[in-house]
Amino acid sequence: MEASQRTDAAAAKPQDPSPAAKEPKPAAKNTHRPGDLPGQKASPVEQHKKPILEISDLTKKFGDFSAVNGVDLTVYEGEIFALLGSSGCGKSTLLRMLAGFETPTSGSILLEGRNIVDIPPYKRTINMMFQSYALFPNMNVRQNIAFGLKQEHLKKSVIDERVDKMLKLVHMESFVDRKPYQLSGGQRQRVALARSLAKEPRLLLLDEPMGALDKKLREQMRLELVDIINTVGVTCIMVTHDQEEAMTMADRIAIMDRGEFVQIGGPREIYENPNCRFSAEFIGSVNLFDCTLISSDQKHSLIHTDDFPSPIELGHDLDLADGMPLTIALRPEKVYISKVPDEETGGSNCCEGDVENIAYLGDISIYYVRLPSGRLVASTLPNVDRFKTGLPIWDDHVYLSWDPESCIALTI
Amino acid sequence: MPISALNATQALIRRKLNAGPRRRRKAELLLTRREVTWRERLVILVPYLWMILFFLMPFLIIFKISLSVTEIAIPPYSPIVTFEDGAMQIILHLENYTFIFTDEDGTYMKSYLKSLEVASFSTLLCLFIGYPIAWALSKCRPATRNIMFMLLIMPSWTSFVVRIYAWMALLKKDGLINDVLMALGIIDSPIHMLQTDFAVYVGIVYCYLPYMVLPLFTALLKVDYTLIEAAYDLGARPVKTFFSVLVPQTRSGIIAGSMLVFIPALGEYVIPELLGGKGSILIGRILWQEFFNNRDWPLASAVAIVMLTILAIPIVIFFKSQRKKAEAA
Repeated sequence: MEASQRTDAAAAKPQDPSPAAKEPKPAAKNTHRPGDLPGQKASPVEQHKKPILEISDLTKKFGDFSAVNGVDLTVYEGEIFALLGSSGCGKSTLLRMLAGFETPTSGSILLEGRNIVDIPPYKRTINMMFQSYALFPNMNVRQNIAFGLKQEHLKKSVIDERVDKMLKLVHMESFVDRKPYQLSGGQRQRVALARSLAKEPRLLLLDEPMGALDKKLREQMRLELVDIINTVGVTCIMVTHDQEEAMTMADRIAIMDRGEFVQIGGPREIYENPNCRFSAEFIGSVNLFDCTLISSDQKHSLIHTDDFPSPIELGHDLDLADGMPLTIALRPEKVYISKVPDEETGGSNCCEGDVENIAYLGDISIYYVRLPSGRLVASTLPNVDRFKTGLPIWDDHVYLSWDPESCIALTI
Repeated sequence: MPISALNATQALIRRKLNAGPRRRRKAELLLTRREVTWRERLVILVPYLWMILFFLMPFLIIFKISLSVTEIAIPPYSPIVTFEDGAMQIILHLENYTFIFTDEDGTYMKSYLKSLEVASFSTLLCLFIGYPIAWALSKCRPATRNIMFMLLIMPSWTSFVVRIYAWMALLKKDGLINDVLMALGIIDSPIHMLQTDFAVYVGIVYCYLPYMVLPLFTALLKVDYTLIEAAYDLGARPVKTFFSVLVPQTRSGIIAGSMLVFIPALGEYVIPELLGGKGSILIGRILWQEFFNNRDWPLASAVAIVMLTILAIPIVIFFKSQRKKAEAA
């Protein structure tokens, strides 16, 4: 049920093509201008959304090492924004600068138009949920949630009322007198969330929100967390190294690498339309082929690769000179596998090889096919039919094919 | 044990597990408890023997003496148990205790209070000076930390009495401190420092500071600094954060350090004797006088027992809090 709500929300997001639409044509545009990062330019929907956080040219250096290197970012009101990257990419440093625990080396952070770089963390209208939750061990649940409100010197009745509201929001009413060590991981997270929301922050920061939970609980809490955040309507920036987490929870994702943004966009955009090899490889799995452009006209592009006997055909034009090197990215689920050759393809976008390995994951199976060129290509098949027979097995000679629209041409 | 009996015990334990939380904890302990081997018992026996021989026995002897009256004899006090006409007589004298509390001059009560005052104030001074030192130690790099530890520990390589004599030389009228201050023209005539309470505090804080710093340091090392960030994040200013997050987290260190300073400071004899004035008679000196000058062993013993009782109160509080913490963890 929650999942369906989430899809509705996703559909309403800016830049996100409606789920019903087929592979979006304009999506291929980014291959025209290799240096251009989509998502940084405001789409029509974004333009009338109110920006709440504007980061410009933000840099943080630790000695000679640039943890964050001149990043620009605009986050809009009510959005859940994810900073995604492997460890050491600078995402946590960026979050800590927003919270005020690190001072930027240069650049500015505007929260609702006001530069907050010099404001100490205890005066910012930003609250953070820590990865370890950082609940005060000497205080019970109620005292933990009330802690932030007490700093504002509010009346006791006002504090109590707000705390009760928060407890109800996270379904922890019956645990008020417990100390943190008496709570389970999931319960601690709820308390931590309630505590960071109690002050009604303008911006909520989540540092690896699911980092301390086990896998099963993680999946359940993702949707619940999004639900709570949407109920409150707070703008949220989260840091994660888990792409699944970023894609289920966030409206927009920024992929970070070595202190810089590689790509910013909606989950679907980032997956279906990566703008570079790093992006394509970081999100999901992908087959990458080193190619050269043969020719390109209005509707088609022909691309040569040493891995296939016939050229790859692309469903759109490429704004590149003939003979230019490029990379073709092909997602495994878009590669069809069959024991008989596909007649429709007409020679292009197909190849043959032998099944070298099969990974049976339950919901899907991944086939690793060795091409005559020696290249290994991954292809996935959903296991729809419980008792289906005639599927390729080890050492079977198989035929791979794909649609011209499935290929993504990358130049960086 | 036959299997049926074993099953019965386990069933009993299981029933207890379903009972209230306190009984349940006990039952859980029973289930996890392991047979203690005789070697292990032997190891445990050593500290017990030590405590019995060097604490409990002397304590009982002193307690016995405190219940007698002084006599010109060897030993110089009346026996408690006597045999008269074949009948055993036990005579307990409580005069020593009543004398301590009702003495007209109030000498004893005054010196108890004075000792308490000096010990408490010294403990607080050590805490205020020791906390920043411990914090700096916990925060600095390991290489620097070793040097700082050396600086902290090195003075104790010299004899305790020698160091107190050194302070006498520093604090006296024509001592180094007065000389320097006079030479700099800050003061015209020497300040009277030696044989004042000030000198006593200087001595006690100087000697016992390391005992405050070390437990505080250990406690500060274990502090989870994200909690401090969390407090900042929730709008608590630095001072508020210190008292609401750092102090509760280093509670065990504060208590342990305070105990290590307070307990020896209460019975301190050498420092007030050498640095203190005639006006401040602490309980350590009273004890000395009663034992060696007046040779009133029973009264001296009673004074010692009362002092031990005063000390026992904070110790009991300490162990209670420790146990509470252990249960919580």
